[in-house]
Amino acid sequence: MADSDNDSGGAHNGGKGSEMSPREQDRFLPIANVSRIMKKALPANAKISKDAKETVQECVSEFISFITGEASDKCQREKRKTINGDDLLWAMTTLGFEDYVEPLKGYLQRFREMEGEKTVAARDKDAPPLTNATNSAYESANYAAAAAVPGGIMMHQGHVYGSAGFHQVAGGAIKGGPAYPGPGSNAGRPR
Amino acid sequence: MFTKQMISSEIPMLMSKACEIFIQELTFRAWMHAEKNNKSIVQPCDVAKVIMQTDTMNFLTEIIPNNLGDFSVFDAKEENIANIAEENEVSLSFTAGFMGNPMMKMDSEENAGNIVEGNQATLPYTSGFMGNPMNMMNMDNVRMK
Repeated sequence: MADSDNDSGGAHNGGKGSEMSPREQDRFLPIANVSRIMKKALPANAKISKDAKETVQECVSEFISFITGEASDKCQREKRKTINGDDLLWAMTTLGFEDYVEPLKGYLQRFREMEGEKTVAARDKDAPPLTNATNSAYESANYAAAAAVPGGIMMHQGHVYGSAGFHQVAGGAIKGGPAYPGPGSNAGRPR
Repeated sequence: MFTKQMISSEIPMLMSKACEIFIQELTFRAWMHAEKNNKSIVQPCDVAKVIMQTDTMNFLTEIIPNNLGDFSVFDAKEENIANIAEENEVSLSFTAGFMGNPMMKMDSEENAGNIVEGNQATLPYTSGFMGNPMNMMNMDNVRMK
């Protein structure tokens, strides 16, 4: 990369960091993971500039706030405390991402099957569905990570890291997400 | 009403997968835009163009100007696209005028040396339009330094 590009990028990021958040890396998903996912969408001869990766990095963080903010609003209207998968799918449909719902339902079904197996293995009895619904955000993250590792065949390592990244970004949204400062940020990190 | 909200255990997995799909859709569309302009490197302006052209991505429009620095780069591009049917000289003149840099018409090495952050997106487009691989080569050289 040209020197001018590096200097400009550094100054820009530094300025943004001091203005919005003391921890720059907490605001976005890890750029290496974003970059890897971007490359999967393109042919081998395609190249992606570093600036384009950073642009998409910001966009996907905004996407998370956008979707979870809408799902959170729905839960509040219905006087529910916990956002579940169906709320998220509803929010995507409402906000124009209905094409995402069908593949995500497939993932959700497999995840629930894995969760069932995990629960049976961990205890003699099946846990009632409500128990899962009342998990805290951090317990959910740990549980999802634990569930994903044994099921490596269905979920790759990047997914586990992505799960962690989600919480970091959601936390950062409290500071850096003016559009959805309240509900979106609360959804990701209980106080 | 509630100050505290929680998420079920399926949310992290579901949101992770949604983000993967989102990133790949955005990237693929940006690549389509870059290819249309005979480029092999996806740039922020390609991503921004997708955001402006795709209805479901409109929630991202407020992010674009900060990242690209010079929003008017798009306006210049739109004009260039409109001028494609005309002679190359007209388009080239417009680009030179937009950048305020008469050196644009001269030796390509000097053009490369004049690249600045806001103008970076314009030169590859011009190179692609003129079908001159030498300019692209110079761009690569500059980036590797």
